[in-house]
Amino acid sequence: MKTFLVILILAATVCCFSFSLRHSTQYKQLYTSSLDAYRNDQEQLLRLIRSSDLTKPDDLEKIREKIAANRIQLKSIDFWLRYFDPISYRKENGPLPVEWETEVFEKFEMPYRRKGAGLSLAEKYMDERESLNKDSLSQLIQTSIDSLVMFKRDSVMMQFASPDHFFLANRLYLLNLAAVYTTGFECPDTSRIIPELRSLLPAVRNIYDQFATDFPSTPLSKNYLELYDRMLAFVNSQPKQFSLFDQFTLIRDYINPLFKHNQQFIRNYNVLSISFNDYALNNETSSIFDKSLFISQNTKGIFSLVDDPAALGEVKRVGKLLFYDPILSGNNKRSCASCHKPTEYFTDTSVATALQFEGGGHLPRNAPSLINSVFNHLIMLDGKHISLQGQAQDVMTKHEEMNSNEEELVKKVLTCKEYRDVFKKLLKLTPEEKNISFGHIISAITYYYADFSYYYSPFDRAMNENGGVSNEVKQGFNLFMSKAQCGTCHFVPHFNGIKPPYIGSEFEVLGVPADTAYSRLSDDKGRYDANPASETLHAFRTSTVRNIEFTKPYMHNGVFRTLDQVIDFYDAGGGAGKKLDVPNQTLASDPLKLSSPEKGALISFLHSLNENVIFEAPPSSLPVSSDKSLNARKVGGEY
Amino acid sequence: MKSLYLIILSFFSFLLLHQCTSEKKTVYVIPDHVTPRNRQLLTEKAEKGRVLYKLHCSECHGIFTKGKDGVPNFTQTQIDNYHAAALMGIDPRNHAVAKKMSAEQVDQVITFLSLRKRD
Repeated sequence: MKTFLVILILAATVCCFSFSLRHSTQYKQLYTSSLDAYRNDQEQLLRLIRSSDLTKPDDLEKIREKIAANRIQLKSIDFWLRYFDPISYRKENGPLPVEWETEVFEKFEMPYRRKGAGLSLAEKYMDERESLNKDSLSQLIQTSIDSLVMFKRDSVMMQFASPDHFFLANRLYLLNLAAVYTTGFECPDTSRIIPELRSLLPAVRNIYDQFATDFPSTPLSKNYLELYDRMLAFVNSQPKQFSLFDQFTLIRDYINPLFKHNQQFIRNYNVLSISFNDYALNNETSSIFDKSLFISQNTKGIFSLVDDPAALGEVKRVGKLLFYDPILSGNNKRSCASCHKPTEYFTDTSVATALQFEGGGHLPRNAPSLINSVFNHLIMLDGKHISLQGQAQDVMTKHEEMNSNEEELVKKVLTCKEYRDVFKKLLKLTPEEKNISFGHIISAITYYYADFSYYYSPFDRAMNENGGVSNEVKQGFNLFMSKAQCGTCHFVPHFNGIKPPYIGSEFEVLGVPADTAYSRLSDDKGRYDANPASETLHAFRTSTVRNIEFTKPYMHNGVFRTLDQVIDFYDAGGGAGKKLDVPNQTLASDPLKLSSPEKGALISFLHSLNENVIFEAPPSSLPVSSDKSLNARKVGGEY
Repeated sequence: MKSLYLIILSFFSFLLLHQCTSEKKTVYVIPDHVTPRNRQLLTEKAEKGRVLYKLHCSECHGIFTKGKDGVPNFTQTQIDNYHAAALMGIDPRNHAVAKKMSAEQVDQVITFLSLRKRD
């Protein structure tokens, strides 16, 4: 009897032990088994392609069906893959054959050329009937299979030992849900966007369940899961057609509140990141539409380590004076405010492109609004600069713009007692600098104007405070994110070219014409000037559409005076759609076929992004210089 | 007696003062092939880094001993690893001070640490 008891206890222990062992790896096992299933599917697809006759419509249809099925399988692991290795993910479902990237941690280096492969590209390639061949098609899938090994390497697998990666991957998932999954960014067949969403959501719900069994001490809250389930029900209740899908409600009522919960988990569970995906994201925000969602530019420059509010107030005060002071230009007649008029959203709405330094016509590009420029990783339309300070330096010393030089500029500024006194005080707070430098001057300027980027629009308020917008605005936003295809490049929440995880700036080739008659392509080479390559010719960094009503004219060369002209340009399929020769255009050249009420709704939505910026009056006078010839200068300059 | 006391006191004050002022100037090791102009630029950058390090880093990453400049002897590998991590954005984002610094300032500190002559 006694031995029996002992055996029984032993057996029970072993049972429990083995059970708990199996239990504790359930979450990880889901990952590996789903990854294997996807690999298996991709291999089947590859075999199918190899055994097919690509001239037969039936065979092509079979391949298309298999691609569609594999896309669904990919959705079951998307949650992890995108987070663990976004660069390799491009080989599974890349949107473009080649992308040039300068992500935030790499911007000190030359841009990287990254090739895409996988399902989206294979699907798009199938439509190119003339050039379609079996080897190229197989290669796209073979590359995808080969890349899968990246998702099983040690540095990935070891992350399953702790719950940290889960909450960070979940954050990225929610951000992608708001910005990417519903727009067709990487789903060429728009009829499948919503069906894929319907399979993605439950797949992630399953991941949540497995995670809960393995990491019971860091749970997703009951509120979170209930809200998630309501989101699932909402998505299933919506129409399958993505242009009718209510994306506004999806983001405002579900994704954004879920994001808020997840940010709390990240803070409460002291989640630590070891991934560059989290580099720019701010753990302290509780809304996707909070302007501090991610960090992109350091606006304090040389004053970065200064915390004293009084001193920073002085930096700002002197920054404002400098912004209006033509002393920064070679002829003492032009200031920053000459082209970036602080009462006109820091741009110049009166001219297509600004005047050159002295006579001699106009500059090649439209002066961009400085508002929201802080939310870019690369500065200027060609992304030439990596910091706001670098841009300021370039403008001041460039012959065609302000035509000054660093030494002379510092000397002139310091002939003014007011500047000298303030900078002397500030110099003590930057003890690593021996003298008042050009860096002090440009950092004061960037710190001053950055403030104007932190105002919100009615649309933000609706998202942040669960408020309402008119039906037309809502319809306009839903169109922006679907049929009008704006959201595939102007990403939520800044509606500029920075997509989750918000670590790089994107460039696009649109085929912008030189004139409104579309007689020829604008000859501005754009990004090519900074990074010459066939893909970057005529490419420009995607700008924000915030405050667009007040920041005309539009496009890099200011060719369009009205929003109607801009929308017509996109509606026609850009330059290529207007029959210009743009071989590397990244914008689809098919017409969007927007009706005129649809265009009206789009414009209503764009107007709801007007930020309620509170502008300041210009300074009444400029600091007096000991050099009398400098005292004739006018506030804001002369032209 | 009183004057003897004064003499002894001033002798010790002198000794103490001397100790303070004779703090060794940091020597930078720059490879021979670097041109004089770049040598000067690098030294200026490293000097900025030295001031930043003393003010913002040495409170935690320092050795407070008399007469020394209070910088631990990080190995080149440690510095390189940190630099790589900084570029990857891993460490400074979790680091109270480094995350406030501008890219230039991080660069200045790294330059200082890698060029300074180690004991």
